[in-house]
Amino acid sequence: MDDWTFRADRVTKSFGELRANDEITLQVRPGEVYGLLGPNGAGKTTLVKQIIGLLKPTSGALTLGPHDLVEDPDAARQLCSYLPQAQMPIDSFGAQQVMKLTGMIRGGDTITVQRRSDELIDALDIGEWRNTLGMKLSGGVKRLVGFAMVTVWPGRLVILDEPTNDVDPRRRRLLWEQIRRLGDAGASVLLVTHNVLEAEKSVDRLAIINDGRLIAEGTPSSLKAQDRGRMRLQLMMTPGHDTPEMPPFVHHHTRVGNNVMATVGESDSAQAIGWAQEMMGLGEAEEYALAATTLEDVYIRLTGHRSEEEPANIEAAM
Amino acid sequence: MTGGPMAIHAPSSVRTGWAHWLESYVMMTRWELGSLRLLLPLIVALQVIIGGGFALGIGLLFEDMPARNALYLSTGVTVVTLITVGLVLGPQLVGNRKIAGTYDFMWSLPVPRTTQAAAWTTVNSVIALPGMVAALLIADWRYDLPLHISLSIVPAVLLTIVTATMVGYAFAHAIPRPMITQLITQLLIFFILGFAPINIPPENLPAWLASLNDWLPFYHMAVVIRGGLTDGLITDVGSSYLVLTLYTAASVAVAAWVIGRRD
Repeated sequence: MDDWTFRADRVTKSFGELRANDEITLQVRPGEVYGLLGPNGAGKTTLVKQIIGLLKPTSGALTLGPHDLVEDPDAARQLCSYLPQAQMPIDSFGAQQVMKLTGMIRGGDTITVQRRSDELIDALDIGEWRNTLGMKLSGGVKRLVGFAMVTVWPGRLVILDEPTNDVDPRRRRLLWEQIRRLGDAGASVLLVTHNVLEAEKSVDRLAIINDGRLIAEGTPSSLKAQDRGRMRLQLMMTPGHDTPEMPPFVHHHTRVGNNVMATVGESDSAQAIGWAQEMMGLGEAEEYALAATTLEDVYIRLTGHRSEEEPANIEAAM
Repeated sequence: MTGGPMAIHAPSSVRTGWAHWLESYVMMTRWELGSLRLLLPLIVALQVIIGGGFALGIGLLFEDMPARNALYLSTGVTVVTLITVGLVLGPQLVGNRKIAGTYDFMWSLPVPRTTQAAAWTTVNSVIALPGMVAALLIADWRYDLPLHISLSIVPAVLLTIVTATMVGYAFAHAIPRPMITQLITQLLIFFILGFAPINIPPENLPAWLASLNDWLPFYHMAVVIRGGLTDGLITDVGSSYLVLTLYTAASVAVAAWVIGRRD
């Protein structure tokens, strides 16, 4: 039997002076859900577009099993299915109609495509929009229909670029279940996202990309290993105030907008709370929170970004 | 909700060959017609109004239209209606896709890209032909034309539609910004209407412009279509077929190259 592992080997993509991807090497094995995390502009979508043949690498290799995806973009399009981050062209189609049509374009037969689209409609709980025209669907339901379109007859490698965007929390869980099932059924899933918290729960392994380079790779727990026994102290600074000098028990800290995130040892928790209260007393900070570290902290430490990058979102997350 | 494991039919081999091409062409034509389904009646109606309106409009040029002029202008109108669909409407629709952001998904579909170009040409023909027929019927009714329709109208129309559609398609895909494409195609239409010997007899043009048009496809489109619609109006269609066939082949090759290349 063929080994259908997807391999990116030292993939570099330059646009003039800019290196959007810089020697990226990674592998996604069949059955694996692999997260590709990074802030906007990190080079995630550029990598994905090279896999599916929309862009050509400046150097490096992309292979899926025995197929060279760079040399043979026709093979790439047949063996990979791709949910782009952008809108899907479904305005004039009924929801199930467009799933079936895409399934057949992907090479599926009528009976299987009908059965599998029924299955997905049930699993994602979008039955009430089965025959609704795409133009009348909300953004979240459109996204779910898009997911069903690319997985009704999936490729060996399923690439999902921000699949949960605009999807309501309940159906988000259903969607994650289906993504997991794709892996269980033997597909390799490459999941592009900047939602670290969601990814942490759903991916087998992940890579963090920043400024075009792969800066960390591993299972969520292996990436968090460095932060074991540590807590996250989050300090909301009063607008206009500089980052205060960190006390010696802070291991490292990052500031995004007015939000300062510091990592402290569990045994230093009491001291950390005392210090945060002192900052509030001085009017330097408005609020604080102490919590267990998550993958998000690793991500922030490595990229200097929060996964939800807008300052407004940071406030909302407090 | 599904409980058990899904049956997933991931492809193990890569489909190639003519059967795959034809199957993909049929599917993509279904896709294109489906995605224009809501707009199609409107677009076709508009083409019919434009074609018919144009045919009536030329009557205003003369107080009493000479029969030969009526035949010349009416057949010219049919050529213009065919060209404008491929050259203007096609790029506009591609531009809409670029603006809506649906472009990447379309190019990621597992079909040979040439089938997408072929499906596009088919859809353009569906849009263009009713306008052409309407222009002819209305002109015939209004001016009582001595039409003499022969089978050669089929290749003439096909060559004209394919060339115009592929030129528009290549521009629309090669130029990243739809706005620039629109400016270029509008410039082309301006040239076609004002300075190409479609509705203007070549002998009325300055010599240099007439000889330039010998090397461009528009005049030859008019010649072969007139050849298929009339008897005696046109004498030498052979060289026009030759030039136009070369243009068709070149436009298909350029369009295939444009959609096949990767940055």
